[in-house]
Amino acid sequence: MENKCENLSLYMINELTALEKEEFERHLKTCTHCQHELESLQGLWQTLSYEVEEVDVPETLKADVMNFIFEENEAPQQEQKVKPTKKGFIDLIKLNFKKHFSPLSTAVAVVLVIGLVGLFWNNLQLKETITVLETKEADPSQIVSTHILKGQGLAASANGNAYLIQEGSTTNLVIELNNMPRTKDEEVYQVWLLKNGTRQNAGTLKPDQNGNGLITYRLPQSLSFDAIGITLELNPNNTQPQGQKVMGTS
Amino acid sequence: MAMKSKTDEELIGLIVQKHRPALEELYDRYAKLIYSFSYKIAKGDTDKTKEIVQHVFLRLWTTKSTYNPAKGQLANWLLTITRNIAIDLIRKEQKHNGTIPLELDDMLHIQGQQSEDVLQQVSRNLLKQQIQEAKRHLSEPQQRLINLLYWEGYSLSEIAEIEKKPLGTIKSRLHQTLKKLRNYFNEETGGVRHGK
Repeated sequence: MENKCENLSLYMINELTALEKEEFERHLKTCTHCQHELESLQGLWQTLSYEVEEVDVPETLKADVMNFIFEENEAPQQEQKVKPTKKGFIDLIKLNFKKHFSPLSTAVAVVLVIGLVGLFWNNLQLKETITVLETKEADPSQIVSTHILKGQGLAASANGNAYLIQEGSTTNLVIELNNMPRTKDEEVYQVWLLKNGTRQNAGTLKPDQNGNGLITYRLPQSLSFDAIGITLELNPNNTQPQGQKVMGTS
Repeated sequence: MAMKSKTDEELIGLIVQKHRPALEELYDRYAKLIYSFSYKIAKGDTDKTKEIVQHVFLRLWTTKSTYNPAKGQLANWLLTITRNIAIDLIRKEQKHNGTIPLELDDMLHIQGQQSEDVLQQVSRNLLKQQIQEAKRHLSEPQQRLINLLYWEGYSLSEIAEIEKKPLGTIKSRLHQTLKKLRNYFNEETGGVRHGK
């Protein structure tokens, strides 16, 4: 038992600083005492939740919950808000133009106005994106899923975890790898996201001298994946894997 | 209804694919647990309790994670999410501007847990009695610590302020409290734990 074991309780309740947490996790890998303690304390912590009196659920709650999800949070509010203005605006301009211009010039003008409205609309959306980006900081980040990565082949001793982290409207994939064999020269480990047999490049990394590696990848909103694979590549710019697979989700 | 025969895991899989009946079935299965738990954290405020439950199910609806039964009972996962959301909402309401002690990783507490078999075997009521019994073995300050930390979501430094004690004292108190509870469970019940 070393000094580091003292941080176990703080680790479990997530009260360590990022640096301390990282150090403790490194320690945890080699300390069987802490591994057992952690497991048992987590069990205890979870058990605390059972100190609850059962309460009757109000009959109306289900409707309240479902409405909250399907009506308040799913409504495509922005489109409803903007479309009527767009149309009204066009009609108004059309009317004005009809008074003063021939049908041809009206048509030209209408096209121009539609273009303008399009710009206006883009601008609105851009503003929205900026607001989302600005408010992002205020949103707590949440782990939405965890995936365990296991080494194979060359990197049989390696292991790691991938976390999908939601921060506001952005989703980041954070992959943490340990015990990776060191790479030579240009060699890199490349992360692939697999979906229905297609592979999407999610970045490359080189482990540090202790074999630890970390990579963060911002997931495009439309992108989902079924599995994660990691290959050892000679060339860091491949769009499809060429090297051998060394790690993956099981 | 076909949903009734689905396993929890299948339901979560369907929810990820935005299948509403699966969410409703999950609600039917777990609303009581989540509601009761939220009610305790909200100290009996029914409006607040409703808000918590709404956010828990919204979180489930927007989740991208697929629940893995090897990682623990779904109930434990749900309660961890519920606790995080509840404390988050309640602390926000208290207009606490400091860091909300709530980046507790949802998944941290269920990973590697093997206690679900025991939890499944022992009825919830029995467990509850045991926790209460175990807590009786704690000193007053130790009981307060667990309540402030677990049920109210205060951070250790906030607790140090509340208790007017140095942070170091609170840290070692936490250490002793968890050990004491754990040892009680190990002796009295053969374990809150863990397979082997």
